[in-house]
Amino acid sequence: MLKIIIPTIMLMPLTWLSKKNMIWINTTTYSLLISLISLSLLNQPNNNSLNFSLMFFSDPLSAPLLVLTTWLLPLMLMASQHHLSKEPLIRKKLYITMLAMLQTFLIMTFTATELISFYILFEATLVPTLIIITRWGNQTERLNAGLYFLFYTLVGSLPLLVALISIQNLTGSLNFLLIQYWNQALPDSWSNIFLWLACMMAFMVKMPLYGLHLWLPKAHVEAPIAGSMVLAAILLKLGGYGMLRITMMLNPQTNFMAYPFLMLSLWGMIMTSSICLRQTDLKSLIAYSSVSHMALVIVAVLIQTPWSYMGATALMIAHGLTSSMLFCLANSNYERTHSRTMILARGLQTLLPLMAAWWLLASLTNLALPPSINLIGELFVVMSSFSWSNITIILMGANITITALYSLYMLITTQRGKYTHHINSIKPSFTRENALMALHMTPLLLLSLNPKIILGFTY
Amino acid sequence: MNPLILTIILMTVFLGTMIVMASSHWLMIWIGFEMNLLAIIPILMKKYNPRAMEASTKYFLTQATASMLLMMAIIINLMHSGQWTITKVFNPTASIIMTLALAMKLGLTPFHFWVPEVTQGISLTSGLILLTWQKLAPMSILYQISPSINLNILLTMAVLSILVGGWGGLNQTQLRKIMAYSSIAHMGWMTAILVYNPTLTMLNMLIYIMMTLTMFMLFIHSSSTTTLSLSHTWNKAPLITTLILITLLSMGGLPPLSGFMPKWMIIQELTKNSSIILPTLMAIMALLNLYFYTRLTYSTSLTMFPSTNNMKMKWQFETKQITLLPPLIIASSLLLPLTPMLSILD
Repeated sequence: MLKIIIPTIMLMPLTWLSKKNMIWINTTTYSLLISLISLSLLNQPNNNSLNFSLMFFSDPLSAPLLVLTTWLLPLMLMASQHHLSKEPLIRKKLYITMLAMLQTFLIMTFTATELISFYILFEATLVPTLIIITRWGNQTERLNAGLYFLFYTLVGSLPLLVALISIQNLTGSLNFLLIQYWNQALPDSWSNIFLWLACMMAFMVKMPLYGLHLWLPKAHVEAPIAGSMVLAAILLKLGGYGMLRITMMLNPQTNFMAYPFLMLSLWGMIMTSSICLRQTDLKSLIAYSSVSHMALVIVAVLIQTPWSYMGATALMIAHGLTSSMLFCLANSNYERTHSRTMILARGLQTLLPLMAAWWLLASLTNLALPPSINLIGELFVVMSSFSWSNITIILMGANITITALYSLYMLITTQRGKYTHHINSIKPSFTRENALMALHMTPLLLLSLNPKIILGFTY
Repeated sequence: MNPLILTIILMTVFLGTMIVMASSHWLMIWIGFEMNLLAIIPILMKKYNPRAMEASTKYFLTQATASMLLMMAIIINLMHSGQWTITKVFNPTASIIMTLALAMKLGLTPFHFWVPEVTQGISLTSGLILLTWQKLAPMSILYQISPSINLNILLTMAVLSILVGGWGGLNQTQLRKIMAYSSIAHMGWMTAILVYNPTLTMLNMLIYIMMTLTMFMLFIHSSSTTTLSLSHTWNKAPLITTLILITLLSMGGLPPLSGFMPKWMIIQELTKNSSIILPTLMAIMALLNLYFYTRLTYSTSLTMFPSTNNMKMKWQFETKQITLLPPLIIASSLLLPLTPMLSILD
């Protein structure tokens, strides 16, 4: 595991020691190389996990998330080049250092064996993200956004710390590899109900669950592009990953404790999808669509069947790539018009046809078109929730329809129709932007050829 | 102040605390406290203005009262045990009175009212000595009598201190008052774990002293006592802004910085002793502290406050020398991976 962690840590000295014209080239190249190394983790030979040491392990759930994390760093660096071009050199280097630090913490979080170490690194990802959002965001609202982000997550996760320590007292060890064989039913008592709540709330806030999602539109909208990408693609999946790991210890309370959260998620996915139809702000639309997709993941994790776990994992990876790509597309609009209002830049297909192709592909994968992995994820979740309770098919069906509605609304508003007259002097698409979109889309399309690598550990 | 006099006075302060920490006779401990108190009054009044006089008067009154309460507790202890050795306190009344006296010296709620006012009235360097060195002596006595302390009183005072430290600091813009309320909250954390595992009290004291030292050194370097003047540091010494950011987040107890270590260890120790609600409550209330630290970082490092055009041309006075800042910064932010080395504090 150190073969990935140490190079990522060394990205920080690399940025500080690079010459002015080489910082982007150096960091992007080396982070791409690191992502190629991480691909080797996808080779999971037996039915259990790859244990690298006492502290790090990777199993079929964390390996795809890890590959996604390392794949996104070069993409984030490519996406940030334009808005940082006018900044002094030291600030550029600080930004890249923040991204590299965040990357290190994320890699260590996904491969942590000991649950307290997972917790510390989970919290540690907050600091670089807060700095990126509040220091490099663009509007005044970013201060409020940073505070909401920090405090929502912290209030949710401090009970998790207490819960983890009390579980450690109970079982003697929080090493994940041991706990998965512990398999003892949690006795039925009031304090164990609170234990369940304490364990799950941190991840519910992070996912986010519908009632606790207020930080997400603020943070996603106010963050700069790399911040939005990493938030949408990876940090939300931290919540899903944590939930998948920790529900292993929380039976049988999950049978009845999950009901309120299932109801909130099922209703929330419809509500947030419907809000998307009424958004004027492009990034806000994509942020609410993230909430809606993650609500599906929460439903899948809470019903705890093998197919739902497969659906949750696939949906996490697919949504990571798709929403990151949507944010990049929205950013390419923002860099040209300096406004996030959707109707301000319409009819872009006439002006930027290749970008329109990327918009089309991104919107199609967002609405879960077959045979993309988004569909595989959503389909598995819909099927398993139907087997859990027949009525959910109505809500799921409605959600899929509304998702299609707002994705197409976004596509048609920005791409089709007559172009607005004030944007006919925008710069054409850079090769960097096209490369960015291609690098998002290629894994997404190629994974539909072999989805079993992203189907997680119940395959 | 004449350097010779200053040296003698500082040495007396130092000697007072040393006598408290090293004695086994209760009378010597009281003498140490009095020596410390008398010697620090001129330090607090270095700047001769009415505010400083008021601050040192308040400090003198509260500390003298506390010393007298301590003396009463010592006499009751003498009455019931017949000896002056500091081992454990033999009478519950004496123990309660002693705890209250030491809480007054430390600035725990409900005896916290002097801390913000005294800290605000004195200069930054004196405030530094007040909030770090002066806490050592009472804490060492609490450590030594920890087996006989009444748990209810101490825990109530601790939790109330964390509450008051969090809520009181929310409305402040003066940096010294912010540090005062932060000190009240940290004292609360330290005394909460005292009965269960006094080693963690020492750990928290160590890390708290390092972080507070760092913060005060950074404030002294930029000669800033209000949030507004702190927000101008990006103009004069941009590196200081990053250091302020890191240290403030560490004080707020965010992983992976070293300020998280005492909180984590304390929560662990409290949970092992089967109190679950208490550490959860304490941890959530520490977030109030984090709020006003984050607000401070917003005005200092994470945004650029508008400044007038001639800010950059402001006369650069001779840079104040900051002693020991690099090791302090490292100690107050990067010590978390060294947590297994906790056993050296036993």
